[in-house]
Amino acid sequence: MKKDELIEPGLKERLSSEREKGWRKALRQSISVQKRLSLPRQPMPAQPPAQRIKNFSEVNLGYTLKMAQEEARRCLDCGYPACVAGCPVAIDIPSFIKYIEAGELEKALNKIRETNGLPAICGRVCPQEIQCERNCNLVKTGREPVAIGHLERFVADYFNQPQLSLSTEKSVESSGNEVKKKVAVIGSGPSGLTVAADLARLGYSVTVFEALHLPGGVLAYGIPEFRLPRSILQAEINFIKSLGVEIRTNFIVGKTATLSDLKAAGFSAFFLGTGAGLPSFMNIPGENLLGVCSANEYLTRVNLMKAYLFPEFDTPFPAGRKVAVIGGGNVAMDAVRTALRLGAKEAIIYYRRSRAEMPARVEEIKHAEEEGIVFNFLTVPVRFLGDGKGKLKGMILQKLALGEPDSSGRPRPIPIPGSEFEVEVDLVVMAIGQSPNPLLIKEIEGLKLGRRGNVEVDLDTLACSLPGIYAGGDVVRGGATVILAMGDGRKAAKEIDKFLKSC
Amino acid sequence: MNKIIQNNRLVPNIFHLVVESPEIAAAARPGQFVIVIPDERGERIPINIADWDSRKGTIDLVFMVLGVSTRKLASLKPGDFLEAVAGPLGKPAEVARAEEVLLVGGCYGLAGLYPLARALKGNGCRVIFLSEARGQTFLYWEDKIRSVADEFLTILKEDCFRSGEELEKLIIGLKSERPHLARAVVMGCSHLLFMITEITRKIGLKTRVNLNPIMVDGTGMCGACRVTVNGKTYFACVDGPEFDGHGVDWKEYFERRQAFLSQEEMALLNLGRKIEEAE
Repeated sequence: MKKDELIEPGLKERLSSEREKGWRKALRQSISVQKRLSLPRQPMPAQPPAQRIKNFSEVNLGYTLKMAQEEARRCLDCGYPACVAGCPVAIDIPSFIKYIEAGELEKALNKIRETNGLPAICGRVCPQEIQCERNCNLVKTGREPVAIGHLERFVADYFNQPQLSLSTEKSVESSGNEVKKKVAVIGSGPSGLTVAADLARLGYSVTVFEALHLPGGVLAYGIPEFRLPRSILQAEINFIKSLGVEIRTNFIVGKTATLSDLKAAGFSAFFLGTGAGLPSFMNIPGENLLGVCSANEYLTRVNLMKAYLFPEFDTPFPAGRKVAVIGGGNVAMDAVRTALRLGAKEAIIYYRRSRAEMPARVEEIKHAEEEGIVFNFLTVPVRFLGDGKGKLKGMILQKLALGEPDSSGRPRPIPIPGSEFEVEVDLVVMAIGQSPNPLLIKEIEGLKLGRRGNVEVDLDTLACSLPGIYAGGDVVRGGATVILAMGDGRKAAKEIDKFLKSC
Repeated sequence: MNKIIQNNRLVPNIFHLVVESPEIAAAARPGQFVIVIPDERGERIPINIADWDSRKGTIDLVFMVLGVSTRKLASLKPGDFLEAVAGPLGKPAEVARAEEVLLVGGCYGLAGLYPLARALKGNGCRVIFLSEARGQTFLYWEDKIRSVADEFLTILKEDCFRSGEELEKLIIGLKSERPHLARAVVMGCSHLLFMITEITRKIGLKTRVNLNPIMVDGTGMCGACRVTVNGKTYFACVDGPEFDGHGVDWKEYFERRQAFLSQEEMALLNLGRKIEEAE
């Protein structure tokens, strides 16, 4: 499948019927293409680096209405909107942008919400540069793409302000006296919330079970406040609750109750969205020294438990003057920038490939650089060194060279013999990936698992090896992105609906 | 949910909390624990489940007052609510059939081992329960434990437990008088776990220890509770908390439990200041 083709059935027709509406035509013609092409991309206002490294407030400040409309004018409202094909949930991007241009913000938000229940979050954390914005036709003319992510965020935030309220679409009541079928969604991360919202809209009774004490999954424990303020997350979750979804926290399916218990309690279909919660370690000497921790631990302490407010909040965080984060993805960027905000004098990334292969979002890398994070490429730790009392004091690193592409398509890092060197460090955060948390999925008898401990699904339907059980997001994919998890959620909701109608 | 039914002081530093939690009461097994958050600013701490009543929908938690969280828990009254209770977590303890088993419990472990004693007894085992305490005033639940144990013994630090040698003599004597003793299970402070394990290693008595490392989520997500057993790293929250005592890397275990010593001190001082201000 090519990433810029609109292949979803009926999608092309839907987009073009919107585009042919009278107001759209008039708006399109109100400004010349030449004029639109001459407008520069609106930069995102942000807290200055020197200020933001001392706080946990959001880095990006968001567009004003004027900036958003100025940016919306750059969109050419193309006849073939390739941007939509780059979006895993196929948001009608030109429509919502044109509604912004026309000043119809509520319509813009409703347009996004037709296919995306978490716009304020996606506007912030999606890797737009490899999705919608990569496909923007402006890029083909050598210009910067329309800031689709910034615009999505703007619309969502506009209605998250306390003085404004939006008439939200309530859950559709099922017709007649028919008893609503019950669906259990396990995990309240991006895939689970999306499934829940879509099924509630279809009239099902949906309960989301969350193991932790707050909903949101990785959005709550993983992504820091400075990227996703908790008030924004709360507003999005409140919206999903307003659709009639019940969220039960502190409920560990597999422990508090088994899947069979839930079946006995009347749930007819299940969605497993338990994420990739198991942190990877390197299995090298010294890894259990005090001062070596997983990014999951570090970020959970700070984000979920608010350790950055210690001792006003009771959970402490491991402190370090010189902090090294191992990895090159978004989690690594989040951890290293968190370390800086917690008072590290030096916060350093060690990544085993080169800059070009870093999986982190471009904006995160840019923000990290502005904040003074030091990047070391083609370097990997081989041993951690203790002080004799169990505390980390340094590590031995090794240099690598890039070889032939491996199974992931990226060049394989190859150790260079004799290149080892020692550095002092007092905290190391391992951000080298996560795999699916086995807690629940290993307890389900007969559930087929893949080689990496992931749940095996039929890729077309997301159905597991057991009837009535579907899965999506990181528990299937390993560590991927919020939006891919949401795409899975949408697909699973459609399939669960089909399944429940057929039985 | 999470409503406190009862909160009694059992001995000067140990409390017995009964909490409404019907689902956990229905699912709990011996050797498991819950994660508790005392209040909205609280941390997540693991506490062993000491008993449960699935009919009333309550669970019993017995904890020793040590740091900020347990101090907060001790101050709660019936009718108050805990911020969160999640579980039951960890692998249930192995419940043998028709064996002679020695259970050694100290401080919170006296209560923590009660469900295992009951289950073993129910499975036809002969249960020898050895309670360890600083002195007579620190012993509790004696009648309750006696009701599920064939033998109830105590070792008090104040008389016979001043040196490791005396403890060693006691355990070795116990084993030689009971040739069918198959194994020991130990729960309580780290020092007790370590000492018992060192003694039983010498006499070749299989010993399981219920470890209590620092945890955050308790569901296998963070790895704070890493322990090394027989050369391999495990997450105590999901792979344990019970492990082969003779395989535990005790030096590492002791060191890792001290990870936040200075922060714990700071948090306690902060709480103390707040209590003073409130008064």
